[in-house]
Amino acid sequence: MGISTCSGAISLSREMENESAKFYQELSKRFEKDKELFLTFAKENAKYVTQIERAYYGVITDAIEGCFAFDLNPEDYQVKAAPSKDASYSNALKEALAMEEKILNFYGVAAEQSKHLMADVPRNFTLVAKKRSDRVPKLKALLDQAK
Amino acid sequence: MAILEEPIKGIKEVKNYINGEWVDSKGKIVDVVNPATGKVMGKCPVSTKEEINAAVEAAKAAFPDWRRTTPLARTRVLFRLKALLEENFEEVSRIQTMEHGKCIDESRGETRRGIENVEVSCGIPTLMQGYYSEDIASGIDEWVIPSPLGVFGIIGPFNFPFMIPLWSAPYAVATGNTIVIKPSSEVPFSQMRLAELAEEAGFPPGVWNVVNGGRTVVDGMLEHKDIVGITFVGSTPTGRDVIYKRCGETGKRVIAQCGAKNFMVVMPDCNVKATVPAMMTSFFGNAGQRCLAGANLLVVGDDNKFYNSFMDEVAGMSSRIKIGYGLDEAIQMGPVRDKEKRDKIMGYIEIGLKEGAKLRLDGRKPKVEGGLPDTCFVGPTIFENVTPKMRIGSEEIFGPVMSVLRAKTLDEAIQICNDNPFGNGHAIFTQNGRSARDFQYNIVSGNVGINIGIVAPVAFFPFSGMKDSFFGVLHTQGQEAVRFFTESKVIIQRWF
Repeated sequence: MGISTCSGAISLSREMENESAKFYQELSKRFEKDKELFLTFAKENAKYVTQIERAYYGVITDAIEGCFAFDLNPEDYQVKAAPSKDASYSNALKEALAMEEKILNFYGVAAEQSKHLMADVPRNFTLVAKKRSDRVPKLKALLDQAK
Repeated sequence: MAILEEPIKGIKEVKNYINGEWVDSKGKIVDVVNPATGKVMGKCPVSTKEEINAAVEAAKAAFPDWRRTTPLARTRVLFRLKALLEENFEEVSRIQTMEHGKCIDESRGETRRGIENVEVSCGIPTLMQGYYSEDIASGIDEWVIPSPLGVFGIIGPFNFPFMIPLWSAPYAVATGNTIVIKPSSEVPFSQMRLAELAEEAGFPPGVWNVVNGGRTVVDGMLEHKDIVGITFVGSTPTGRDVIYKRCGETGKRVIAQCGAKNFMVVMPDCNVKATVPAMMTSFFGNAGQRCLAGANLLVVGDDNKFYNSFMDEVAGMSSRIKIGYGLDEAIQMGPVRDKEKRDKIMGYIEIGLKEGAKLRLDGRKPKVEGGLPDTCFVGPTIFENVTPKMRIGSEEIFGPVMSVLRAKTLDEAIQICNDNPFGNGHAIFTQNGRSARDFQYNIVSGNVGINIGIVAPVAFFPFSGMKDSFFGVLHTQGQEAVRFFTESKVIIQRWF
């Protein structure tokens, strides 16, 4: 079933952040060379969950369109909790990049769909996406080094 | 999508909270049914006259000491209540979904607005300051002290079981009064949880009391000489003919917030993409059981192309609304509170057909997700070709039924709105500032929306209402609530 409600969209963002945190934790175990960076990413994810939940619980009054603000397909935003088994470092980084793009896409689409309707929630989606976008060049740099 | 866990397991027994004690009632016990699942989730007492009297006596006895407690100290109890409500936010919200049927987003919104009222009342040390004039005559000074009055009764409705008593309760106790709350016996659980948290926050015995029940408890409040004022939210016949009238007869202060038939006026220059979801939440949010819900959609202008495309969008989105148990995060609309209310709404749909309106979307046999019994569910329903004289265009239905009317001009639209006896929450949707200004200036409505489908004032503004939607002078929430719960004591001083 598609997601139309804000509660559903918040749960999906939480799930993506939690799963991608697990992904980076696993990456840090498998490839210790860049462990610190991956663990930093995982920790940041928890902060993003808090930031978005705070925004949601702060503005979800009865005056806004909480049940009608989204049209999301959760299948489009499934995130793996670990890199593929036996993936090389390069391939694992490629998977991380693809995951980041998927998550950034989610925040962009969710913010656009709810921008007139959900007060601070879309603004925080955008803020989180902006912060997360810093990861892409870092991951790309690691990928270049790994080649 | 997740289905959230129910916070109430098995059958929960509701008790009264009188003088700091949880006490069983001697009255009849009625089942409380979860309207989505059809399962009995608890038992609620229909309390007796003796029990309401006992609560009022406890509140009266607690008043002198509570009044003497400094505003700062009273506020600290409210700060603790606020913290406890935040800690228990999700549980309280889910209880509302279980007892009432509303979706979890709606319940969380209700919880948040309730907490916001506690937050505003935490400003009482400054909110209830008086004012002073030196030398009103030579050597004579004069000032005003807002003083608490005594025991207030708070009568809550079924549609916002948690939030609406909080439009009054925190202001009443913050200003030094004591209270007796009567929740709706159909939805008593969130008020019971609130009272548990109030107890934990540290209100002294007798300051915050809860007596469950029905007409006997209401009559007990109205007749009791020691109740100085009542706040009520409910239907217009009860609010006007019972509460307001009898408070007048017995010299009590009163706020009676009543029924509505709200118009959503749509101009052809509106932002359609943003307006359509606003229509959904306005007409079908809370299954239409809001005194601020849209009831009549009034489309302005002769532009049939705009009308048809707008209505296609509205009907299309309405037909895709997912109906079911509000604890399922995918669900956009829950059931109405009980079968009697569903039957009444069904009756209005029949009336609409007999009156000759065109049934564009029929909600009588809704598709309910999750294999739930359809006892209390009504789907989104849309009637077109409605006129203001039709009963479906003029009377409060209190369900997910949209009546669509048309007006040639904005002036005509405003006239149609103003001819309706209610004046609670009308709104206009336009991108034209002049149209918006004309609307807000000429409309007779306590709450007015400009591109807002549910005109619910935030806690530091009064929840207003006009004509048959409101009886009284001052309103709940914010500064007006502070004035309602205090008397202006004027001191004039001269020293020889």
